[in-house]
Amino acid sequence: MSSDLDRQIEQLKRCEPLKESEVKALCLKAMEILVEESNVQRVDAPVTICGDIHGQFYDMKELFKVGGDCPKTNYLFLGDFVDRGFYSVETFLLLLALKVRYPDRITLIRGNHESRQITQVYGFYDECLRKYGSVNVWRYCTDIFDYLSLSALIENRIFSVHGGLSPAITTLDQIRTIDRKQEVPHDGAMCDLLWSDPEDVVEAWGVSPRGAGYLFGGNVVTSFNHSNNIDYVCRAHQLVMEGYKWMFNNQIVTVWSAPNYCYRCGNVAAILELDENLKKVFRVFEAAPQESRGVPSKKPAPDYFL
Amino acid sequence: MEQESEQTQLKVAGAESLPKGRSGLRIRGWLIESRNRPILTSRCVERWEHEIETSHLPEMVFGESTLTLLHLESGIKIHFNALDALKGWKDEALPPVEVPAAAQWKFRSKPFQQVILDYDYTFTTPYCGSETIDPNEAEHKTGAISEGESCSLLWEDCKEKIDLVALASKEPILFYDEVVLYEDELADNGVSLLTVKVRVMPSSWFLLLRFWLRVDGVLMRLRDTRMYCCFGSNGNTKPVVLRDICWREATFQELSAKGFPSDSAAYSDPNLISQRLSILLHKTQKLKAPCMMRCTFPLVGNLV
Repeated sequence: MSSDLDRQIEQLKRCEPLKESEVKALCLKAMEILVEESNVQRVDAPVTICGDIHGQFYDMKELFKVGGDCPKTNYLFLGDFVDRGFYSVETFLLLLALKVRYPDRITLIRGNHESRQITQVYGFYDECLRKYGSVNVWRYCTDIFDYLSLSALIENRIFSVHGGLSPAITTLDQIRTIDRKQEVPHDGAMCDLLWSDPEDVVEAWGVSPRGAGYLFGGNVVTSFNHSNNIDYVCRAHQLVMEGYKWMFNNQIVTVWSAPNYCYRCGNVAAILELDENLKKVFRVFEAAPQESRGVPSKKPAPDYFL
Repeated sequence: MEQESEQTQLKVAGAESLPKGRSGLRIRGWLIESRNRPILTSRCVERWEHEIETSHLPEMVFGESTLTLLHLESGIKIHFNALDALKGWKDEALPPVEVPAAAQWKFRSKPFQQVILDYDYTFTTPYCGSETIDPNEAEHKTGAISEGESCSLLWEDCKEKIDLVALASKEPILFYDEVVLYEDELADNGVSLLTVKVRVMPSSWFLLLRFWLRVDGVLMRLRDTRMYCCFGSNGNTKPVVLRDICWREATFQELSAKGFPSDSAAYSDPNLISQRLSILLHKTQKLKAPCMMRCTFPLVGNLV
């Protein structure tokens, strides 16, 4: 049983996707594990926190080189495993296989891209169709997305979530009562946790000019951290050129783990290592060298555009 | 082998590549160069926000990336950069576009203090390139240092059209590049993208500056600027540059009423769907250099 899984993990580490039947079986096993997790999953230190990956498989391998292999290193991934990059299938399946193999050494929480609607527009759906000739694998994976936890709490001191805070949430217990086993809704607390952003120009709450999407200011973070007795919030969701960024007097930090995002931004990525005393070290890393990845070369092919 | 034939092609066309590490070429009196650089650092972003007087910029600003076309003899310089484009966005200041979920959000209970931000998050810009004439950059300059600013050029409406037939011929492409100036994912509500593509052939250069916007479920906007310059047969003192500006737009509602698909996934490539969008503005213009003389004479005067 575990030898089968070990073989699959080795295969995925070479960026070779599993067979459709294997994906189906893996997802069933993952579901059994994830269904037991809390909406605020408890995580022990030491742990290494990672932000968005977006299907950049070879860059995630760089991440493991810098942070150490799972299970030796305990990992917390803050969502957005899929879309945008070329290898969403292999990226998500490797993380899921590690989760099934070492459930206590890796925690995966949900990002706003772990959704049926978003993956149909931003790449994962098309990639599944292209690699498997049918959308079954996309269905198995998106069904699993509904089971992913919404947030994590490290040693009761650090709250981790993909997007940010919600005006509907003042205590962690309010997150615990959400029925998360559903597609990400367009509004409400679950939507905010996966979608909202910190914003300098507002003090309390702001609404994006799109008419949907919350922005929260420093005062909101101060009172959230105070009421829940936490040191700071750790989130992902927004590209940061330097890989990580503190805001509001070190009350919230954004961690971004997709270097050279979309294969053209030239940004570095970061992961946040916390030791057993919660001492922080940000490990900054660059994209995998061009020759080690199977992506199209940088120079665009000449094109007789009109 | 391939490199050799490229070199031969360049030679036959009277062109030469720029030195190693630079991307571009010299051809028939023009120096054409592209630069692709990473996005701005957080510190640079702050500086730009200050300069543009905004607190919001696209999440990916390729602030050091440029395309420049310099006519050596006249000093005419046509160039493309994110800063000028974003200044154009700030000036146009279109009202925000609501996403479909906004309808639902109006019924949400509001937190105690709530501000609604109202900048144009689509970063729509009327930018159609920057141009200056700087005789100081001209190759035949006398060595004088210019004290004045470089002069601005003028575009005048004209009846001529860009020669699409000539452009459709499969002349060899001696130089090609695409430069992204800025990009924003609209927080996963679509795409806003400003890019410029250029191709240089033995007989001409051609470029397309394109602003492409898709707000999922709401609208698409395409603002294209094409420029074309056919290399003259004679001395080349005054290059003829034509510019074609075409703005198109359509809502998803209009498209679905016409029987076209209305899911965002069907609209990922603007090349394939541009014809479905209605034309809002279309004009062709020609480059004029009215102040060229005024600029040149004081320089010479100083020398004397």
